[in-house]
Amino acid sequence: MLMDFNDSIRFAAVCNTNGDIVWTSQREGIKNIVSLDETKQTMMRAIEAWAQNSNLKGHVGSGLYSITSYEKIKRITVPLDDDGKILFISVNNSSTKNSKTKSYGQIADMGKILSIVDFVKSER
Amino acid sequence: MSRYEKLLNMLMDFDGSIEFAAVSDTTGKILWNSARSNLKLKVPLDETKNVLKRESGDWIDRCKAEDRIGLGRALYHITSFEKTKHVTIPVDAFHLLYIVVNNEPMVKSKKKSYGRLVEMGKMMSIVDFVNTFE
Repeated sequence: MLMDFNDSIRFAAVCNTNGDIVWTSQREGIKNIVSLDETKQTMMRAIEAWAQNSNLKGHVGSGLYSITSYEKIKRITVPLDDDGKILFISVNNSSTKNSKTKSYGQIADMGKILSIVDFVKSER
Repeated sequence: MSRYEKLLNMLMDFDGSIEFAAVSDTTGKILWNSARSNLKLKVPLDETKNVLKRESGDWIDRCKAEDRIGLGRALYHITSFEKTKHVTIPVDAFHLLYIVVNNEPMVKSKKKSYGRLVEMGKMMSIVDFVNTFE
């Protein structure tokens, strides 16, 4: 559903608390900028970060998502459930058009991404 | 007034939903900070210091990765919670900007809300603008 919803999503994966990838999808015709090993390391760091973020839940509510924005792509993580699985998405962030003002990339449509995640959770 | 204090003042003036802003060094130690008056911080300062320590370490990793993998420059990081968004932006090689933005929905909506949009373009342009004054 995620890959169908947004063409700018290049890669999506779900991993468990050990950093093992349990599901993955890659857009056809697009070559990875980052190696899978490097992506696994990123996901491991994200799992640790979300575990620490759980300390803030009593103050600011549940964690919804994180975005790390680079010039070429955005890397998004979404905590999926209490057992620590996370969704990892890599989205194209290159500017789509020439602009007079400096561009800092594209907006990731997080509302839609989170609504798809919620929909899939409700179907389980 | 240092350019970092100027940066915090400009950010607080620009967006009323910014609750707290700080500049830390690369170890996560807070050097300057600004909190919105008449607003109680949702996260205790000790907890914020812990967050900043971790964020600083993460940014060191990201900056190392810039050279190793071809993603381009790392621009910013956002962690979104139900009530607040926490944004980090590297100001320069030695300083990290940390911003806490209110994320509670402004109006009641029939659809589920996942919070407010953060104007990262404007925040980034303020950081770039202040950096021209070095």
